[in-house]
Parts: sequence; structure tokens; C-alpha cells
Amino acid sequence: MVNDMKILHLYYDIMNLYGEYANVSAMHRILANSGIECTVDRLTIGDSAVLSEYDFIYIGSGTERNQKVVLDDFMSYRAQLREYVSSGKAALLTGNSFEMLGATIEDAKGNRFEGLRLFDFKTKEQSKTRNTADAIFEADFLSRPLVGFINKCSETEGVKAPLFTVKMGLGNKDGDQAEGVRKENLFGTHLTGPVLIKNPYFLEYLAGIVAGGTKLSTDHLEYERKGYEITLTELSKLIGHL
Amino acid sequence: MKVIFTIIVCKLLRLFGKLVGKGSSLPGQLALKICPDILSRIELPEYIIAVTGSNGKTSTVEMIAHILTQNGKSVSWNREGSNQIEGVTTLVLSSCTLGKKVKSDILLIESDERFARYTFKYIKPTHYVITNLYRDQLTRNGHPEWVFDALKDSIYPETQLILNADDPLVSLFGWGKENVVWFGADKLSTDTETLESVYNDGAYCPHCKSRMTYSTHHYNHIGHYSCPSCGYHRHDTQYTVTAVDLDNGIAELDGKYRISLALKSLYNIYNILAAYTVASIVGIDGQKIAADMSDYVMKNGRVITFELGKRKGTLLTSKHENSISYDQSLRVATQCKEGCDVMIIVDAVSRKYFTSDVSWLWDIDFEMLKSENIHEIILSGTYCNDLAVRFGYTDIPAEKVKIIGDIGEAADHLDSDRSEYIYVITCFSDKQKILARVKVNGE
Repeated sequence: MVNDMKILHLYYDIMNLYGEYANVSAMHRILANSGIECTVDRLTIGDSAVLSEYDFIYIGSGTERNQKVVLDDFMSYRAQLREYVSSGKAALLTGNSFEMLGATIEDAKGNRFEGLRLFDFKTKEQSKTRNTADAIFEADFLSRPLVGFINKCSETEGVKAPLFTVKMGLGNKDGDQAEGVRKENLFGTHLTGPVLIKNPYFLEYLAGIVAGGTKLSTDHLEYERKGYEITLTELSKLIGHL
Repeated sequence: MKVIFTIIVCKLLRLFGKLVGKGSSLPGQLALKICPDILSRIELPEYIIAVTGSNGKTSTVEMIAHILTQNGKSVSWNREGSNQIEGVTTLVLSSCTLGKKVKSDILLIESDERFARYTFKYIKPTHYVITNLYRDQLTRNGHPEWVFDALKDSIYPETQLILNADDPLVSLFGWGKENVVWFGADKLSTDTETLESVYNDGAYCPHCKSRMTYSTHHYNHIGHYSCPSCGYHRHDTQYTVTAVDLDNGIAELDGKYRISLALKSLYNIYNILAAYTVASIVGIDGQKIAADMSDYVMKNGRVITFELGKRKGTLLTSKHENSISYDQSLRVATQCKEGCDVMIIVDAVSRKYFTSDVSWLWDIDFEMLKSENIHEIILSGTYCNDLAVRFGYTDIPAEKVKIIGDIGEAADHLDSDRSEYIYVITCFSDKQKILARVKVNGE
């Protein structure tokens, strides 16, 4: 069975803190290897995408300043994005990009920016300490934990349906065991970088949603799986020290 | 009395530290405990030259020290590279007399970029070189704009800024200021019209965040940029690389000084240019600087030639978690006309702290290794699988790439009858693991 599918990498040239583009490459490859015809559109500020045309939307992490510039543009997608999410289609927002979906973001100087209000949570930034950490998260929908890295200066408060449970690393706010946010098949996490490359099991899960009934071919993920096991082992050694 | 006591304690500890081969930050750390404002109690020389930035600070500082001492100046500098306030304190106190005065003509400080604001609270540099701001160790540093903000607090109005005009973020420190010395490169024969990099950190104006345009790229987002929206642009330079010939290893400065390059990379040329700029400001003749820099081989051990059985090779120390550093090393390998093999090792991401993050591998332009002169590529170390995944997303034919996790086994594999030159690209944290298996030249 061959379907035509479309992936949208939104704000690809400005929300790209650290190799985030690879998340889109990973999704594209697993779909293509499974026999699904698949194209990728890379769009940015001012490009006026029609979200309903897409089967998977990805936005990566950005600097605090870039996030505010993007937010101004992203606001225009509010109604479209609501519709996209309630239709059950898949989207992944990593790093501080998912903060834009909340009620407000307050920067370190106290300026308050309106979010898209798909959720009620609020985010507050500070400029004193960079909160960085290797992370291990668990999810009730995955048999294996996630590995990755957090790099932020914000706390997010009021998330009602978090995505992950923190085993190591940082949650939505200080001391919080809950991380990220989920609504239907929209996934938001503060993990940065190529999350779907580092986590082949999460990739399979997410690609499964995107692919619908089509069976996925995952033979090409051999090195991803080996790399994942090593990283998980290395990070697990740390848990004892924490 | 307390000041003199602190100086003596620091000097003794430093002496003892040298004997037992200990690092240079501990004596300063203790001195700061005894007398927290010790740095402001010392009489400093006329020239206090600071160098910071993501890449090239250690090399630039070494070159400046070399030129200045060759020309009769006495220089105190942190040659061990302890570049936070503790290391700088050790440097200052070990260089000063019991009369609380630094004896040298010039105090030359390499400073960590995130912690410069603490160091320079007490010692205000008279001259301050900022080389570049790249994606570097983001697991600690956040991102370049975060570092920019931290660095901004270390700059005082009376300090003479010396900035890399070709780096759009660094240049923002001098935007709208009168008293800035700019260094950079003219349009070069090695330039490209379009960006050659996995990502573009010059896509948006650091000043107004509108889209920028480039008339030329030296490498990555380093080049001649301008913002059509707010008018922010690359500043004209007073100290300039006017031409390069990387094949023959020649750089020309200010249209008149020719420097023969020990390391044929643009990276090295920028370090030389920064050193040339500082030495010129101090009053050294350009011709003399050019002579001192010609064929100058860095003593900091970042480029090491070796033999492995019948084969010859070079280790290019590159910074893990720093894609531009890797890009530059890879480019050196692609310029090897006779053809070469390349070994990449990622075993410990850092020697100073633990992280398992390999996101940075995706920012490195490994694609350039598909060049025909690159024959075999060996991926080694704990994170060899992550390297293998990364290479799987390039157009490099899989048969060219060998994955050998164990570094010893990888070295055994290289010790063959092949005649190709070997380039080993890895970080400080991992270089000993391969150097232990080869014969280092000059040892």
C-alpha cells in the first residue's frame, strides 16, 4: 500500500539549536523505508503553511530571542493548529518550542508574551542559570525509557497532561517529576536535539501513528538501537551518583 | 600584610604544584579564599590583554606571547590554559613581586567566555580580543546568544575592543561603538558564494532578527553579511587577511606580509590574524610579526604528527561538542591531494564533565568526506554507533566506512600495508587513547 504523505518542518532555519533537523530526517527515512511516498516541506517565518495538508509537523528548539520572534508568526496558526491536533494527526515540538502552545511566556526581564493557548500552562524564563542535564524519561506508552538532553532557562507550570516521568534530568519545573505535554497526538518535550534519532523506540511509536495502518520497516535502525543501549547504560551509571 | 601573605602562599603552592605536576587553578582558588579582592590590590602593567571566544583562544594567546617575547617584551600569560578566575589569580600572583606589582610589560589573559565577567570585575583589560562565538559545548554553555549575554557583562567602556568583523554575533559587541579595532578577511579565493554548513547561524540578524544576506562566506556563517532591514553589516577592517593560498600554505596580511603556514587552515589564519592585530597595536613591526608567525608550529599539542607502523599521520585535535572545530579539521583532510584515510574517535564526550549527548554530531558537515581523495573512514570509541548513524545520513558510500568501537583494534586495523596518509580527528578527552598506540614524532 502506497500513500502520499507530507511532513512539515516549521521554522527549520531559526528553531534549530542543535541538530534538530535530524528528527525530520529520521521520520522521513522510516516512512520511506516502509514504502510510503513522503515529501518534506521546510518552511519558516512568513511562509503561511496550510497545516491540514500535512501528516506530521515538527518544530525544534531555539534561543530565547528566536522563540519570541517565531511566536509572533506562529500566533497566526492558532486556529489551524487546534484543528490539526483535534483531527488526531501527529506533531512533535521539542525544546522551548512547545512553550509557545501555552498561555504565556514571561522573559527574564518580565515582558509577557501571549501563547497560542492550546494549553493553560505558563512559562517563566530567567537569565541567571542555564539548566542543562542529561536525561532519562519514562512514558506509559513506551516499553523502553527515553534518553536525551535538556538545555533551558525556563520553568513551565500548570501542565495537566504531561508526556514523560523524569527518572533523571529536569522536569517541567524545578523538582517536578512530570515532563513535557501531550494532547491527542501532539507531543511536546524539553528534550533538545535529534530526539528521534537517539530514541528509535519513540521514533517507531510516533511513525506508527503517522503511518496509520501501514506496517513499518525498522531494519535500518540497527545502529540507532546499539547507540541507544550504550547511552542508556552510560546514563544509568549516573543515577546511582545522584 | 594580608596581601603579601596571600602572594607568598600562592607562589609557594604554585611552585609545589609545578613539582608534583598539579594544575594551576588551585593556588589561585586558595588565594581568593584568603583575600577575595586580591586581584584589585595588585599593581598591573600598562597592557592587560584579554582573549576570549569559543574557539582559538589558547592558540591565539600562545601566538601573541610568542611574538611579543621574540620582540623583547616580557609577558605573563596563563600558558596552562586555566582560564577562569582561579587560574588567572594564580597567573597574576605568581608573576608579581612582594611589592605587589606585576613585573612584566604585558599581562596576557586567556579567559573562559562564560566566566569572564567574574575575572574582569577585578582586572579590567586594556585590550579585549573576542575571536568568535560558535555552538560550543552547548551542554554547559546553553547557546551562543546565552554566552553573548554573559560576555557582555565583562566589557567595560574604557576597554579597547578588538573584534572579529566576520562573525556577526561577535560584531554586535561593537555595533554603534566608535572605539573598536576590527580584524577580518577580505573576499578570499577559498570563499564560497553560498553557505557550506549543516546549519546557518547567520540566517537571522543578531541585532533585529530579520533575515540577513551574505556577499561571501569564508567558512560556515563567517563572512561578509548585511541586514537589509536594520542596516547591521560587517564592519570594515583595520587588520586584514587580504589573500590566502591554502594549497601552498600562504596567507597574506594587509596586502604586504606573507606568512608561510604550518597548518593550512583558515582557522589557523584567523588565530594568526588576531595575534598580528594585537602585536601591531602593542607596536611590533608587521614584518617582524610575519617572520615570527611564518612556519610557527603551535606548542600546545593540538596538531601532532605520528607514525603508525609504516604509515604516517597527523592528529588534529578538534573539540567534541563543537561542529565548526570539526568542520575545519575535516576540511584539512579533504585538502590532502595524495589521498588519505580518516579516523574519527568519540569515546568520552568531555574530559571535564560527563555527558552522553551527541546532538553536535548532526551539526558537523561530515558530507564533505565523500570527496574522492578520502579513502577509508574509521569510526571508533564508545559512541561509534552514533557516528555510524550520522554517516548513514550522508551520501558517503557505506563500503568506505568501517565501524571499530575499540580504539586499540582500530589502531591495529590502520597499522597495515596501506600507503595512505592518516588523519585522526578527535578531542583532548580522547587523543591519548590513540597517541598511546602510535609513535609521536619528536618524542
